[in-house]
Parts: sequence; structure tokens; C-alpha cells
Amino acid sequence: MNMHKDDVQHKQAFDEPLWWGLFSAGGVCFAVLLPAVILFIAVLLPLGLLPAEALSYERASSLLFSVPGFLFIGAVVCLPLFHAAHRLRHGLFDISVGSDALNKKLMYGGAALLSVLALGIVVAGFLR
Amino acid sequence: MNTDQITAKRVSADSASTNSINTNNTSTKHISVKRYLPDNSAETFWQEYDLPVDDSTSLLDALNHIKEQLDSTLSYRWSCRMAICGSCGVMVNGIPKLGCKTFLRDYEGDIRIEPLAHFPVQRDLVVDMEIFLEHLAAVKPYLIDDNPVKPYDPQAPETYQQSPEQLARYKQFANCINCGLCYSACPQFGLNPEFLGPAALTLAHRYNLDSRDHGKKQRMAELNRHDGVWSCTFVGFCSKVCPKHVDPAAAVNQGKVEAAKHTLIALFKG
Amino acid sequence: MDKSSSQRLPPLKRNWWLKHRFFKLYMLREATVLPLVFFTLCLLAGMVALLQGAESWQGWIAFMGSPIVLLLNLLALAASLFHAATFFVLFPRVMPLRIAGHSLPDQAIVAGQWAGVVMVALLFFWLLGRSGA
Repeated sequence: MNMHKDDVQHKQAFDEPLWWGLFSAGGVCFAVLLPAVILFIAVLLPLGLLPAEALSYERASSLLFSVPGFLFIGAVVCLPLFHAAHRLRHGLFDISVGSDALNKKLMYGGAALLSVLALGIVVAGFLR
Repeated sequence: MNTDQITAKRVSADSASTNSINTNNTSTKHISVKRYLPDNSAETFWQEYDLPVDDSTSLLDALNHIKEQLDSTLSYRWSCRMAICGSCGVMVNGIPKLGCKTFLRDYEGDIRIEPLAHFPVQRDLVVDMEIFLEHLAAVKPYLIDDNPVKPYDPQAPETYQQSPEQLARYKQFANCINCGLCYSACPQFGLNPEFLGPAALTLAHRYNLDSRDHGKKQRMAELNRHDGVWSCTFVGFCSKVCPKHVDPAAAVNQGKVEAAKHTLIALFKG
Repeated sequence: MDKSSSQRLPPLKRNWWLKHRFFKLYMLREATVLPLVFFTLCLLAGMVALLQGAESWQGWIAFMGSPIVLLLNLLALAASLFHAATFFVLFPRVMPLRIAGHSLPDQAIVAGQWAGVVMVALLFFWLLGRSGA
């Protein structure tokens, strides 16, 4: 019985709540923010359907390289990236590709790396 | 319901069961059953049966008809006939169902009956549910109260008090009949049999929500493992197939919230 | 307790999800993150372009307008809406909200989340959509 207890203690998944929390927060951002973000930035902007000055170089810079811009990138890039990483990790397990231990490192590691990059760009533009 | 009504019901039920093959709307249905007779062969095979059915014929009635009239070698489990015992689970056209709660009138065309998925088959439609029972036992699905506030006094026994609001918190999750359909519906259990699975995690949550219980800490050690709540990806098919509308997927994912809280508390306490 | 002695089946084959419509929809839900990742990478490229200067920024907008990129991003838009539709109904099941002892009806929570989507879109319209803004 004690053996079992140690075994169970040993197997406690202390990291999973973190990944799941990031996944859930990212899922909310993906669902609530991304439809509008994709519509305006990836559809209306390149189609020229926004007023010319709406996202001119100057306006886009002043919007992004700011404190609200930093929060915006956190909610629109970083959290959704962790959401995607979580689903990709479990999706790979679902179709029996690779090992979960490695997939975990690759997916969450990738999301963390890209998040640091995205936030780093905002900070760099802010300090410029 | 008064006694007359009960008597009337019973009479009609009896007449229905004796006449079940001869009432109106009788037709013949074709069903295929996946057979496995390990004494004869290690191979499974499909066997076809034609049987008379009417609007009230359940799949369990059909299996009983086969067993009694057509082929006494067919093996399957059943007991109560009214979705309480949870014994008669089988796959119907690939979907886990209770035989007694499934009516042949709802099926046009092929009816393929197989043993419950994700469990080892012992014979025909009889599966080995040992692993499910192990997972159930692991989460301690019973009231745990190691330190009752007042010691038990036989002179003045005290009962647990529970308000309707406290009951409402877990009532839905207490309707589980341990039929195992959710395990056959769960691809995560199919991919990893060590996953505690929908019913066990739901029952754990049911006791964690019970105001009379103080065993949450013990259960959390099981829930907060990779093979505990964290293997669930909210496929949600368990809740679709549950014959008692328990919504195990909701319980498991509420369990994730609880496991996350438990981990945070453990981190701060060191 | 010793390791269980009960019998284990081999894990499911990797094509298990093709066998039922419900599982195909599940996989589709999980796959919504693929176009999301594509859009996120586009957005990262745009941020780098913005950091580089006005010319790269115009170049990035042109890149976003190329048919294949536009098509993939329209797919991402559809994916975000499908994700929203599947995600919003899960929320009241994972975190049932109770106000004054009564649980809030699921439809109210789902409708509230869609209202959030509309609000964000209106915010974007206010910020970017008006001429002369």
C-alpha cells in the first residue's frame, strides 16, 4: 500500500494544470478575439477595405509598440499559441505520432519561444 | 400512482411479454452478432439471425429470443431490463448502448451487435471489465470521514445533515450505474487503458462535491496524475452515450479545475 | 498494491477517429489550431516588418493580399468561428456559474460569449474601420 502511495505521489502531474490553464485562457482568446483580429488584419486590410490611414506604418507602429500593444500581443499571439501547442500535443497522441514526453517539450517549447519573440518585438519597438 | 394503476400496468406488461411476437406491427429483422467462442477457435466471426420484432422489442428482448429460440450458445450479460443494473451494454452499429434501452424499431437496415469496445472479450458479447473496476476502486468512490466532528454515540446517534442545495451540487453525477458505456465511447481510454476514465473520474468528483465527504485530498492524488483527469481531451462522446445523462465529460473537466486548484494550494504550502 | 493483473488491449489504431462522425468533428475541432498557427506566424512576420520600417510594412500587406495567404487566413477565420461555437458550449459545463444559489442557464452563458465576439468586432470597427480615424 505504501509502495502504491509513493508511486502515486511520484506521478503527480504538477505541470499539467499550468498547460491546461494556458490552453483554456488561449481558447477563450482564440474564440472571442481572433475572429475580429483575423477579419480586420488578415482579410479587410490586405483587400484594401479599411480606410487608408487606419493601419498606416505610423498608426500601426504607435498602436503596437505601446503598453496596450504588449497586452494585445499577449492575448492574440502568446495565449493562443499555448492553446495550439496543447491541442497539437494531444492531437499527436491521438494519432500515435512521436512520444508524448518529446511532443510536450517541442510544442510548449515552441509556443514559449515564439511568445518571447513576439513580446520581444513589441519591447524593441517601444524602446526604439 | 395508486395500486389499481400498478396492477393494470403489470397486467399489460405481462400480456405484452407473452404476446410480444404476435402483436400488431410484427415484422422480421435481421441482426448480425459478432461471436467469439474461445473453446472452438481464437477467431471471431459474424453470425446472422432473423427474428420477429414489433414496436416494443428491445435489443435485449431480441438477444433473449435468439438465446431461447434460435441459438442457445450465444453469451451476453443482462439482469434488470430497465437501465438500472448496467449489465447489458453492447456496441450497436459501433455505438455503445444498453440492450434494454435500445429498441429495434429505431433501426432501419443493418443492425450489427458487438461486445463493448476497449475491453478484452471473454466470450461473444461478454467483456472483462476488471480494469474498469480497478480504476473505480482507485478513486475511493465512497464517503470518507476519518475525523467525524462528534464521535458516534449509540445513545444519541446523529445523522448527516444535507440541504437540498448541497444535494443539488452532486446529484446529477450520482446517477451512474457503472455500465461502462462511457469507457467504450472514450478514445483516450482506448489509446491508454491506464487512463482512469470517465465513470471513475465522475464518481470521484461526485464524492468530492458531497458535503458529507472529507476524502478529497486522498482522491486528488489519483486525479492529478497524467492518467487521471489530464488524459481527457473533452471529446465528449462519453456524455453522448451515457444512458443516465450523467455528463461525465463535464465532471471530468470540473475535476481539472479542482486538480488545478489543488496543485496551486500544494505549491503555496510547499 | 501490485501492478494490476487485469488484461490490457493494445492501443487503438491511429485511424480510430475516421470510424464515426462524432470523432471526425472532434478531430476537426482539434485541427482548428492549424490555420490559427498559420495566421499567428503571418502576424509575427508583420510585427517584424513593422519593426524594420515603412517599406517592409507595405511589403507585408502585399504579402497578406496574395491569394493563397488570403485563402488560408479566410480558413483561419472560419476555424476561429468553428472553434468559438464548440468552445462556448463547453464553458458552462466546465465552470457552471451559480448566482444567488441558482445556476445560470447554459444558453445565457453561450449567448454572453457570442456577445463578447461581437463587442470585440465593434471595438475593432471603432479603432480601424471609420474613415478619418
